[in-house]
Amino acid sequence: MSNNAVENFEPKILVFACNWCTYAGADLAGTSRLQYPPNVRVLRVPCSCRVNPQFVLRAFQRGIDGVLVAGCHPGDCHYTTGNYYTRRRFLLITRMMDYMGIDSRRFHTRWISGAEGPKFQQVVTEMINEVKAIGPNDKFRDDAKIEVKAVETNE
Amino acid sequence: MSNIQNEMRAVAKELLESGKATVVLGWEKGTMPYDSTPVMIRSAADVDKLIWDEYCLQNLSTYLIDFINTEDKVAIFAKGCDTRAYNRLVHDRRINPKNSIVIGVPCSGMKNPKVAAKTPEGAEVPMANACKECRYPNPVACDQKIGSDVTPWCTAKDFSDVEAIEAMDADAKAAFWKEQYSKCIRCYACRNICPACNCTNCIFDQSASGWCSKDVNASENQFYGVTRAFHVAGRCIECGQCEAVCPSDIPIMLMNKKFIKDIDTLFGNYEAGLVTEGTTPLNSYQVADPEEFM
Repeated sequence: MSNNAVENFEPKILVFACNWCTYAGADLAGTSRLQYPPNVRVLRVPCSCRVNPQFVLRAFQRGIDGVLVAGCHPGDCHYTTGNYYTRRRFLLITRMMDYMGIDSRRFHTRWISGAEGPKFQQVVTEMINEVKAIGPNDKFRDDAKIEVKAVETNE
Repeated sequence: MSNIQNEMRAVAKELLESGKATVVLGWEKGTMPYDSTPVMIRSAADVDKLIWDEYCLQNLSTYLIDFINTEDKVAIFAKGCDTRAYNRLVHDRRINPKNSIVIGVPCSGMKNPKVAAKTPEGAEVPMANACKECRYPNPVACDQKIGSDVTPWCTAKDFSDVEAIEAMDADAKAAFWKEQYSKCIRCYACRNICPACNCTNCIFDQSASGWCSKDVNASENQFYGVTRAFHVAGRCIECGQCEAVCPSDIPIMLMNKKFIKDIDTLFGNYEAGLVTEGTTPLNSYQVADPEEFM
């Protein structure tokens, strides 16, 4: 891949946002007019523990360059204990991704509350910059299923 | 060996004649010297089919699932790993312990039939991979026992092979797994043999759900591999049957052992298949679990 392609690379970041905290946090970032790059796609889920690790793998297969799973801080879960399960699950799956050769900078789990609009902005911006620096995800991809390639390489 | 075999036949005969069991699950000699295949015996006249040798590798506990809707009383012969598998199935409420009789057989390690198939007759055949690392050669729970206990040859879990992969760089890891899973033909033998993979409806049989597919390519196969490993995380009893039945020789236990290793380091040592009640690491939590996501 040429340097030019990496320079022009705009990553696609998928954010699984918990309805009760992170989605409200993202909303707060918006109503507070906090700026962040437009590379994120926010997908609202009822609880961070709704996010099956398969969803994350699927995203990487289909050409997403980075995934953020975000939910309420431990102890604040709307369903009392959901995020404790998320924590166990994603502690394991983060390590498994690394074991499979997916750069661990592409996949993050964060606790972002409804009051943490600035944190949402910060986490997302940092992640986009990081993924931009390491380039498009070429691991785990199911290219047969990706109709439009993200980057033109042969110019 | 032959003493145990004679005892097995005697026990099977007694159980069938007295009516305490209507079916006995054991092993019989297959077509090749390195084949010992499962056998289902319903009549006392057939008990001489039963054998016990160094190739009785296959775990019979998973067959008990086939009897959950029958009136049968099933007696099964079980090695150490098989009794852990049995506990796993009881724990998952997939079999009714009241309808089964477990006859424990201490095992001193089975030989690797895949290697035996390629070894000239008479030459030494190594132990099966999972048996080399076995810590529970003796039945952990059984209704009656044949033979005397053996001394376990391993006392601690061996993660050296997992650590070897962990030490590689990201590109090498990705290349390694891509190569391994390019060989997968999606026969689902690993799933079918696995005592922890005991769902009535496997998600991989529901391709219409849209987020898992039956496509056979490296990406989908890895997706299958990781997902299966994750589904048995905290429940895998390390019998290594998945790897033993894999026609493509994919090192599936490397995946399962990675999860076992991480569960041990993150949430405390856990031994699956020793109890039939209580929680497993992934359906429970501790408020004080490691926090990396702040």
